[in-house]
Amino acid sequence: MNSSNTAQAEGPSAHPQAATLEFREVTKVYPGSAEPAIRGLSFLVPAGHICVLVGPSGCGKTTAMRLANRMIELTSGDILLDGRSVRERRPAELRRDIGYAIQQIGLFPHQTIGENIATVPRLKGWDRARIRRRVDELLELIGLDADMRDRYPAQLSGGQRQRVGVARALAADPPLMLMDEPFGAIDPINRDRLQNEFLRLQREIRKTVVFVTHDIDEAIKMGDRIAVLKKGGLLAQYGPPDELLLQPADAFVEDFVGADRVLKHLSLHRVADAPLDPPAADAGPDAPRVRGSDSLRDALSAILAAGGDRAVVLDDVGEPAATLTIDAIRALTRAEERALEA
Amino acid sequence: MLLLPLAQNGGFFRDRSADTCVADNGVCPKWAIDHFDRYVDPFFEHLQLVVVSVALGFVISFALAVLAHRRRWLVGPVTQITGILYTIPSLAAFFLLLPLTGRGQTTAIIALTAYTLLIFFRNIMAGLDGVPEEARDAGRGMGFTPRQLLWRVELPLALPAILAGLRIAVTTTVGLAALAFYAGAGGLGESLASQKQFKTNVLLAGGLCVVMAVMLDLLVLVAQRLLTPWSRARTV
Repeated sequence: MNSSNTAQAEGPSAHPQAATLEFREVTKVYPGSAEPAIRGLSFLVPAGHICVLVGPSGCGKTTAMRLANRMIELTSGDILLDGRSVRERRPAELRRDIGYAIQQIGLFPHQTIGENIATVPRLKGWDRARIRRRVDELLELIGLDADMRDRYPAQLSGGQRQRVGVARALAADPPLMLMDEPFGAIDPINRDRLQNEFLRLQREIRKTVVFVTHDIDEAIKMGDRIAVLKKGGLLAQYGPPDELLLQPADAFVEDFVGADRVLKHLSLHRVADAPLDPPAADAGPDAPRVRGSDSLRDALSAILAAGGDRAVVLDDVGEPAATLTIDAIRALTRAEERALEA
Repeated sequence: MLLLPLAQNGGFFRDRSADTCVADNGVCPKWAIDHFDRYVDPFFEHLQLVVVSVALGFVISFALAVLAHRRRWLVGPVTQITGILYTIPSLAAFFLLLPLTGRGQTTAIIALTAYTLLIFFRNIMAGLDGVPEEARDAGRGMGFTPRQLLWRVELPLALPAILAGLRIAVTTTVGLAALAFYAGAGGLGESLASQKQFKTNVLLAGGLCVVMAVMLDLLVLVAQRLLTPWSRARTV
């Protein structure tokens, strides 16, 4: 993630900026409500990182996200975008610099896909030629044919609409993106695909992203950092996925990440990450075959299914290249835990 | 100069043959063709009453609806007041206005305009209320000002409901304007009432009202198709 500065320049518009986002003791009390919805929330998202806000319903994660672009006004504390308070800026102008994608997508039914994507560039007064180029670029980026430009949202599938929603949020190349359960309304198979697409996209565009979800698995998959919120908008833990899974801060986080947290942690790592042994002649014909790019979770499952304690790791041409043992998996988990304690 | 008396003569004979039909109070197409010109002026008088009243009604209702869209508490009072105006019998409205505005088009237009207010106001409000909340939220979130949101998102999306209201208002007003002659505003109603025992006249004047209503309705329908191509776009 520390390569973000160089990677940014490779974005589709070679826009060099991603912003640092900082929440400072942010509190939100809705009028007429005794209890705050967000209480003293502080965290910092480094430029180019995805920060996932996760928690049970009613924990204030959507409220927290909407405070950043002043869709909801904060009660006390401050939110800084590249060191500058969002309170200093006119809401409409601020929002044009912040990408906004929501679960219900909210495409404008009366506008074509091209017009929808062009929304913020138009508000910013870009000239026609520049807008046209940008729309072409974004359609390609999200993998839609150029002839989709003149279709209406009603003529697209749910997955296509969701992609257009993301493209529209990216259109003016904002340094910060807010995404509220952007893949929540999509069936699991397509959601997985959209998540992968977005992660691939993010490797190119390196935006600072605030991503809201109630799904811990999505949080672990998408987040560079995860903020777990509990009821009343209290921050239970803030850190990278490894930390959440291996060292939950309290019983709430431990319960929220699930009893299979160690397995979830393994799904974050590849077979090649584990300390592998040299290929062994006596691995036996029953030992499962895995590849370096498989997740450790899948490899462990294969080893357990075969009833042994090791798997043969194949190289690109399908020849045995190494051996993965259960001990090696255990060693990796231990090493990660020690690294977190240090 | 020589042809003229001949033509008149011919006309005289045709009238003679039509006369039996007229005398029998039948449906006389010949008479209708010969006397069509006496319906032209009332037709355009009628059309003018309708167009002016509907246009005025639309402008007033539109302003009220945009205001009530921002200030929700206005919805109730405006609906009630326009509702009361809508329930006053048109004939009573004409007579009530006579001492104030005198006989003529003004009186008729005021009454007819008052009738369209409820139709327009309710339809514009329904259209604005029917705008998907997520489109509104996305618009705000992307940096539309409230005014930009209204003109670029909310009103375009309300257009089908607004135009549906326009169709109802137009057809209703064509019918109501047939009574405008009580206010001294002429129109096809006057032609109709002037010989109300004569079938051909009643059919012709009434038929022209229907034709006008259908034409205006079609006009709005065509406008709707041109203005809202997206409303017919469905998954192919």
